[in-house]
Amino acid sequence: MDTSEWLEETGKMHIHRADMNRLIMNYLVMEGFKEAAEKFSVEANIKPPMDLDQLDERIRIRSAIQNGQFQEAMRMVTALHPEILDDNSQLYFHLQQQVLIELIREGRVEEAVVYAQDHLAERGQRDPSILNELERTLALLAFDQPDSSPFGDLLHPSHRQKVASELNAAILRAQNQEETTPLLAELLKLLLWAQDELNKKKVQYPVMSDLLKGQIDEPK
Amino acid sequence: MDVEHSRAYIDQLYSNDSQKCFQAVSELKFAVIGSVREKGSIIEQGVVVRLLQILRAPDLDVLLKTEVATVLNSLAKGLPEHASALVQAGILPVLWEQLDACTGGGGGGSSSSGGVYTQMLLCCLRSIYRHGCAPPPPAWDHKLLSTLIHHGYHPPSNQECVANILAHACKTCEQQQQLVEAGGADLVACMLCSPVTRVQLPALHCLTAMCYNNERVSNVMATKSYGGKAVPDLLAGLMARDRPREMQLAAATALTFLHRAGALSADDPKIIYKTLQCLVRFCRRDREVWERVEAGNTLAYLTERSIHLQRTAAMTDHLILTMNDYLKDTTPSTPPPTPTPATHPISVSPISCRQYDNPSTWPELMLEAALKVYASLGANDEDIRQRVIKTDGLMNTIVASLSAASPPVQLAAVRCLHSLSRSVQTLRTTFQDHMVWRPLMTVLKTSTNEELVAVSSSTLCNLLLEFSPSKEHILDQGAVEFLCGLTRRPHPGLRLNAVWALMNMAFQAEHRVKMSILHHLGTDQIFRLLSDTDVHILMKTLGLLRNLLSTKAHIDQIMQNHGKEIMQAIILILEGEHCAEVKEQALCILANIADGDVAKAAIMSNEDVLKKLMNYMVIPNVKLQIAATFCISNLIWNVEEGAAERQNKLREMGVYKLLQNLMTTTDTGLFDKVKTALQQFH
Repeated sequence: MDTSEWLEETGKMHIHRADMNRLIMNYLVMEGFKEAAEKFSVEANIKPPMDLDQLDERIRIRSAIQNGQFQEAMRMVTALHPEILDDNSQLYFHLQQQVLIELIREGRVEEAVVYAQDHLAERGQRDPSILNELERTLALLAFDQPDSSPFGDLLHPSHRQKVASELNAAILRAQNQEETTPLLAELLKLLLWAQDELNKKKVQYPVMSDLLKGQIDEPK
Repeated sequence: MDVEHSRAYIDQLYSNDSQKCFQAVSELKFAVIGSVREKGSIIEQGVVVRLLQILRAPDLDVLLKTEVATVLNSLAKGLPEHASALVQAGILPVLWEQLDACTGGGGGGSSSSGGVYTQMLLCCLRSIYRHGCAPPPPAWDHKLLSTLIHHGYHPPSNQECVANILAHACKTCEQQQQLVEAGGADLVACMLCSPVTRVQLPALHCLTAMCYNNERVSNVMATKSYGGKAVPDLLAGLMARDRPREMQLAAATALTFLHRAGALSADDPKIIYKTLQCLVRFCRRDREVWERVEAGNTLAYLTERSIHLQRTAAMTDHLILTMNDYLKDTTPSTPPPTPTPATHPISVSPISCRQYDNPSTWPELMLEAALKVYASLGANDEDIRQRVIKTDGLMNTIVASLSAASPPVQLAAVRCLHSLSRSVQTLRTTFQDHMVWRPLMTVLKTSTNEELVAVSSSTLCNLLLEFSPSKEHILDQGAVEFLCGLTRRPHPGLRLNAVWALMNMAFQAEHRVKMSILHHLGTDQIFRLLSDTDVHILMKTLGLLRNLLSTKAHIDQIMQNHGKEIMQAIILILEGEHCAEVKEQALCILANIADGDVAKAAIMSNEDVLKKLMNYMVIPNVKLQIAATFCISNLIWNVEEGAAERQNKLREMGVYKLLQNLMTTTDTGLFDKVKTALQQFH
């Protein structure tokens, strides 16, 4: 099948506008974009899936994280949902790790070492699977310019985002929401997975190589 | 935080100023949440006592109490020893008391602060019970149970807690019954329909705990419905493939338990076409270890008693090969898995006592599961047995496992062996090649585990059947003496297997074997066994005597040495209150004795016995009549020396006349015997 046929066939698929709107609303609500959700609800004439005031706490927490205030974020989460950090020890470790990373980023080396000793050492002893991550983080201290070190990825803002999403998902679970990631993300993952499976079987087909632009490449 | 700071807030805990106290408890909360070390430290400092004191104080603010309950909940989520320490400090009565107080008067569910307090109390109880360290009371307090169930309907966070508490606390038959009577079955049915996964999963565990091995409760549960759907159908829905994996497994386990307790039949499509397949799927190699082990064990339990299920399982998705993977994955050549953070939470039903936190135990758990599955599959069908036996390396694994250090693995191996030993072909071939009797005898002689010895002795019984080539080897191992010893054990299953084994051993055995049995058993023990309360033991003992007293030479020898006691034993049986089957056996033994040349005298000289024989000839039970007539027939057999005197004596007693009267019988078997006997008379 050549590309133009492919595009013709896929063009025949009909997606309802209402479904598209629901997907977008779902994304906005999950990610905590309250104002956008409220406005979109009016403009698209679509009812939000939950009381939007419930988003406030997640918004506050995400805001704290975006400002690098992880200890504050942890206190907020504990005040609202005291069981989350006990029940999600991986998440708790990532939050603590992020505290450490922020201290290292600001050059507060002594404080970083003390924090690591007080809070993370015992975790590392108890749980060998996180030891590796812990060592990578502490290794940043050995470099004058940690950004350009082999572990520089930890300092990248995307790492903060990962933790923020993890925490967001945990809060949604604690609120008894069945889904913890936006459906839009799930759809895109499905597309990528399907392409991956076809590639493994060495099937020739027009590949969507750029998700953001929707660019389709000719099969080779 | 430094030591000074932490000391300060702990001291504040004891303050009478409720504001300061609240702040201190808040600080404490932030310190212990997430940190195992802090939890341990706080407990060691004896703070728990003060916290419980705050909960009990009637005049203190509910917000403060909520904060305290939050701290206690966090402490309970630490290591098992933390939860134990809380229980030892007396937390449980305090929590129950507070829960009761909340529900009855004051706070109630109406005010939101009261609601949050109730929620934290339930969370706390749940966290403690999940560790399994709360001592189960023999029976539950009815009022507490009602309170708990009352909270189980709303909201979802409370539901999750209640379901978990009940799932972990329901251990005895009495508790299961109480739970149903208090409305637990309705609650569980309601929870299964909740839109929230976090509620459905513990509800499944609760159902499993309630129904395990309990026919009455299972029947009640199977007929409950909610929202127009019956519970078994709800369960089938929760087992669907789009459900989270823990949920599929939990639902399959629940249906399995309902089936085994008799509430669902093996032919029910939910069992044979859904539950079975679900469990087999979870045994595949791409699943995690805990899933494979739990599924394997549940599958073994599911198929244990039904040949229909065994046959279906054996042809489902290459199950026999899949189990072989379990064996392969336990060999030392496979590198031990490195611990990775759980990709999927492990949610094992509280009924299963297995722990999965130590990867070095996994190979053993896999081995045990596989052997149990093979044992169930091969229990009844010869074709399946042959397929199982052909499994690569299985026999070697079984033999090695018989000598394993771990009792569960040993037991699984013996069960597997037992199933396979029901196959005559296997007894004659494979078992010879692999010398299974040696480690089996070792298990029998050295193990103190009653269940293990019982199953091993059953297996031994099979090995001792006449056509088993193992027999000679076993005899050399001092088996006779050992088995005679087993007949004295308090456990009736063991006594039965021992006597049965001796009976098999005596069948067409050599004289020396028979003498050995009589010597080691002793006539005293025979009497005791004949007075056993278990009728099966009695029957097998009679069977043993019958086998001993076969072939003329043996009969004469044995009656010469033990004749008096044997006759006494038989009279004991004939005079006792026993069913017809037992009496028939005794009469058959008499018939055997009557076959001996010299032994005949033992009967002829005993008028009492002769009169009894005559009575049995006319009693309205054909089988007994046949046995008695056959005995008479042997006594008067023409060919043998002294036949004439015996015939005269019996004729005088009226036996001839009796036989003539019996000629009118309509039963062909009896008629033939009577005719044969009459023909003997001159």
